[in-house]
Amino acid sequence: MTAKRRTTALIGDDNRVVVGGKTLTWRTLHKLPQLPSPAAVLVDNGADALAAVRHHAVHGTELLVATSSRVDLAMREELGESGFAVVIANGDEHSVTPAKLKRVEESGRVWLLTSGSTGRPKRIGHTLESLTTVRGQQQPRTWLVPYSPGTYAWWQVITISLTQADQGLVVIEPSELETWPAIAAEHGVTAASGTPTFWRQTIYRDTEALAKVPLEQITLGGEPVDQAILDRLHEIFPEARISWIYASSEVGASIVVHDGKAGFPKAWLDRDPDPEAERPILHVDGDELVISSPHHGAGLEGAHRTGDRVEFVDDRVLITGRLDTDEINVGGSKVSAGLVRNVLMAHPAVAWARVFARKAPLVGRMVAAEVVVDPDLGPITDADLVQWCTNRLPDYGVPRRIRFLAEIPQKETLKSDV
Amino acid sequence: MSELTRAQIRDLMGEVMKAQGKTLPSDDGADLREIGFRSLDFSELALRVEDEIGDELNFDAPGLRQIAKVGDVLDFIEQLQSA
Repeated sequence: MTAKRRTTALIGDDNRVVVGGKTLTWRTLHKLPQLPSPAAVLVDNGADALAAVRHHAVHGTELLVATSSRVDLAMREELGESGFAVVIANGDEHSVTPAKLKRVEESGRVWLLTSGSTGRPKRIGHTLESLTTVRGQQQPRTWLVPYSPGTYAWWQVITISLTQADQGLVVIEPSELETWPAIAAEHGVTAASGTPTFWRQTIYRDTEALAKVPLEQITLGGEPVDQAILDRLHEIFPEARISWIYASSEVGASIVVHDGKAGFPKAWLDRDPDPEAERPILHVDGDELVISSPHHGAGLEGAHRTGDRVEFVDDRVLITGRLDTDEINVGGSKVSAGLVRNVLMAHPAVAWARVFARKAPLVGRMVAAEVVVDPDLGPITDADLVQWCTNRLPDYGVPRRIRFLAEIPQKETLKSDV
Repeated sequence: MSELTRAQIRDLMGEVMKAQGKTLPSDDGADLREIGFRSLDFSELALRVEDEIGDELNFDAPGLRQIAKVGDVLDFIEQLQSA
């Protein structure tokens, strides 16, 4: 079987790629030996991940690429039983565990692992064609790549560079996440995509260093995006275009908002299909976001229930969080954890917040929160935050127990499970 | 951590009231409705006690009872700790 392959891949072969301290191009990256197909290539650095992608673009090898830390032993067994040879890549050294099941390859197929935020990671089939959602002519840019290799967001940035001219990459390894602005400034990064948690952490650590990066395009995705982080980024980069994207491995990049506001316009719901524009159809069923997307994974045609909860605020549709965790029932009164979080984040001294339900007598559940305070604008007390929330939320939505954390927690996916 | 004394529970109850901009009277006979101590406040007090003792309170053990006065709250939480 052969998946549809994109013929424009490798247009960016001479784009600059900064990785592991070296300035290369896609063409001059180190080459992997001929990979078995299908292959699951497990990497510990960005250079090996890019080399695996280029190998795929040239040879069409059926490929799954992921960091080794995301694929535990049980999952490696599952991959072997599904026909994948498991390749541990490490520069010029590789180890290959042959597939346990022999099957016909799907040439051109790319597999992604979901983030696992809703359970064990699942494999979703794509191709370079379906992963390439930015197709219009782009201004010359140098993109930051902070994402973990193999995730949907990582592929989004990678395919821009691989399929378009003048789209360079600066790859940030996990060990460089705390100091990325210095690296980005040194290499002239003009576009960066990250989760809201990633941006908050960067602002929290060193706003001055961030402001020195010549950013023209800032993108947020992977988590609910609140107005406070959009406004803060606009203050630091008043000239930059700030966009947020709703995307997942299942439905691809489906909502792209450039107006600097949280949520998307209500008018975007239930629009007529427009095949020319490759526009997804957005729908709300109950309070769940449902998407039919042209960028979907293999076998996921039609309406897809996202499991994400929405709320209508004025003329906007806000995505507040996961359906199974966002709604907190306090003695029969329901409140969205996402909206409470937005209120906390709007406090000038709050750098990050997580809102969750806590089991409580009489009312069943109470709203609780963990907060990181901006050291330049703090200190604040829990009473200050309770007062702030009391002025903006119904009484059952006010977090009654607030714990202060020393720093913003972040996972490999750049998310923080908010 | 060990159980809280009645005085310590009273202090926590005072903190809950203070966070709501109210004051806990010294009289254990004060009526909860009159001083504005509601079910959300009672729940918050229970969470504060749990955080202090590092353990969950077992609300099933003593059974339901009427809690109308400040002293009732203190009695009930004391009883829950030893349940």
